[in-house]
Amino acid sequence: MLIDRRTALAGVVGMFGATLFAPLARALANQPAPVINTGTATPVFTPAQRALVAALSERVLPTTDTPGAITAGVPDYIEHMLGDWAIDDDRALILGGLAAIDARSMADYRKPAAQATPAQQDALLTLAMNGGLSGPADFFEAFRQLVITGYYTSEVGIKQERHYLPVPGEYDGAYPYAKVKKIFSS
Amino acid sequence: MAATDRFDAIVIGSGVSGGWAAKELTEKGLRVLLVDRGRMVEHGEDYPYEGKSAFEIPARDRMPAAIAKSEYFALNGWVSPSTRPFFINDRLNPYDYDAPNKFNWVRPSVVGGKSLTWGRWSFRWGPNDFEANKLEGIGTDWPIRYDDVAPWYSYVEKYIGVSGGRENLPYLPDSEFMPPVPMNIAEQWLKGRLEGEFPGRKLINTRLSNITEDKPDQGRAKCQNRAQCHRGCSFGAYFSTQAVTLPAARATGRLTVRADAWATNIEYDPARKRVTGVRLADANTGKIEVIDARMVFLCASAMSSLHVLLNSRPADSERSYFHSNGALGSAVMDHIFRVNVSGEIPGMTDYVEYGRRPGGVYVPRFRNLEQEELPFKRGYGYQGGAGRQASTPEGFGASMKHGMREYGPWRFNMGAFGECLPYDDNRVMLNFCKTDRFGTPLLRFDVTFRDNEIKMMDDAQEQGMIMLRQAGLKNVNSYRGKHVPGEAIHEMGGARMGRDPGTSVLNEWNQAHDAPNLFVTDGAMMASVSCVNPSLTFMAMTARAADHAVKQMKAGVI
Repeated sequence: MLIDRRTALAGVVGMFGATLFAPLARALANQPAPVINTGTATPVFTPAQRALVAALSERVLPTTDTPGAITAGVPDYIEHMLGDWAIDDDRALILGGLAAIDARSMADYRKPAAQATPAQQDALLTLAMNGGLSGPADFFEAFRQLVITGYYTSEVGIKQERHYLPVPGEYDGAYPYAKVKKIFSS
Repeated sequence: MAATDRFDAIVIGSGVSGGWAAKELTEKGLRVLLVDRGRMVEHGEDYPYEGKSAFEIPARDRMPAAIAKSEYFALNGWVSPSTRPFFINDRLNPYDYDAPNKFNWVRPSVVGGKSLTWGRWSFRWGPNDFEANKLEGIGTDWPIRYDDVAPWYSYVEKYIGVSGGRENLPYLPDSEFMPPVPMNIAEQWLKGRLEGEFPGRKLINTRLSNITEDKPDQGRAKCQNRAQCHRGCSFGAYFSTQAVTLPAARATGRLTVRADAWATNIEYDPARKRVTGVRLADANTGKIEVIDARMVFLCASAMSSLHVLLNSRPADSERSYFHSNGALGSAVMDHIFRVNVSGEIPGMTDYVEYGRRPGGVYVPRFRNLEQEELPFKRGYGYQGGAGRQASTPEGFGASMKHGMREYGPWRFNMGAFGECLPYDDNRVMLNFCKTDRFGTPLLRFDVTFRDNEIKMMDDAQEQGMIMLRQAGLKNVNSYRGKHVPGEAIHEMGGARMGRDPGTSVLNEWNQAHDAPNLFVTDGAMMASVSCVNPSLTFMAMTARAADHAVKQMKAGVI
């Protein structure tokens, strides 16, 4: 766990009783410092939305011969990204897109998108991709990029889907792709 | 620390210059106190994200926008969660400028300073760089020439290890190179094409302070091709104070290190025109302490050094002891950049890169080396490289996932770095209306890029695209970001060397005209900036100045 400056400074109080250097205390008090939350994500989604994010993530990057988005923890990554690591505007785009997909699912299949069949979910995503939904136009690409980023920075993505090479040692700028048939990761 | 401790020298700052000063002075027999406002970082022990994968780093190593905006607003993308432990918090450590003339001041927060996080590109200056001001009647002439520094370049390069290829270019002299980081197959192709289409222009190996041969006497192993230098490297595969100069200085037994110690000003005896010591504020308690020494090496990084100098003044005055003329704070410069050109290199799709090199290739300056009628003076070079990224097929599902197991085409990208002229009215000063937590007036910047720099970047963008297209690349395009001084992190000047005490701050040995026992050997000393990365020059100049300082001390002059 990263100790941010504020935590480090707060630790100083303990070292010097309660008499932290006044300007430091004033600086700290100026405004609450944001932190990188790496614990439970700040809730962004309702339970229904969370289920839909999970279902759609798995359709974007499904389980094949390696695990898919759900096993890779992508839904949690997306909630962290929107709740703790991004700015409000990004949230509205995703929430708006999810609502549009759900509305279309109710219209076409008479059920929430999270309960639609995988084929139906794929059809909904295809509509979103092709601009066939009434929601935010950029939703599909933004959502897809969140899934891809979350997957390929996860342990599953780095160590199973890709070829994990943390300390290459040597360098070869003309290495036959046929030897690896995967993307190198670290 | 006992009151009976006595120091021959105090070195302020422990980046590339300060580390070298500490090493040279201790190795020559001096007792040295090295102070740094940053916290201690021990080599190999305090690199918390070394070797970690994204999923082991907070926020997957993407800096959350809210934190960047609130705490690291001057760092403009340079800091990420994995390097954050090494950078200063801008909110807690403010500086000043007048909008709209923004200055992005990128500052470290650790012993070792920017030597831990630097880009490691390492170039010598050429003879023309030292002569340009005089030749063109711009700024003030350097009081030294290439030949004065050349032996010190060699001395430093042999010690730290610089990788690169011999090119015999008169305007970009070769270092004492270790074998170069190799070009990949696509870059080799591009080299042939570009040099064939544009005789006189070159595509050469990168020049880096990443070693390609082990240095067992220093406990350093060659680069392992991880591309994680910015997080610290326990192999010691790149030059940092932690890996190289600090161990050397400590080995002498004559070094004392004080971390978390802000040098607010230098103590001065105006009657004797001598520096007498340094005033320190403890970063955690604010406790003030004055420590005496026979000499001071000021190496706090250019703008921080200027801050110390400007704040070294009589209690009832706003004018620095070292501001007997108007030179202190004048002619602040940075490199101008944020021009990138890129394109796809055709073919060679059976090959990929095994390993992640620390650097790629370089296109040395080709403008204004001969008589040339161009709308700008001086020149620029490009740093670049080719690589292949995973394919990004459209759509979603299993076919997209498996499509992302293929590599896309070789894509080459290069970014220009250009020289900024020394304008006297690009300056820093103290803002007495605002103070930091130690009671020091804030440093205020008034620095802009001018017509010459903008025209240079226009040319770099145009020529870059022409070169890549004519060399046979496809889908060539360019990106132009906003040019904000400070962002290249090569800020320099403000305490320039010069022959004339009326128009400069330091002499040909980096000694202050107003105090022969004060040496400034970081970027503040620069009378111009060339277009190449300056750190190797800082190290060479520091070693040269330290040699002179010790000779003067032994001669009884200091």
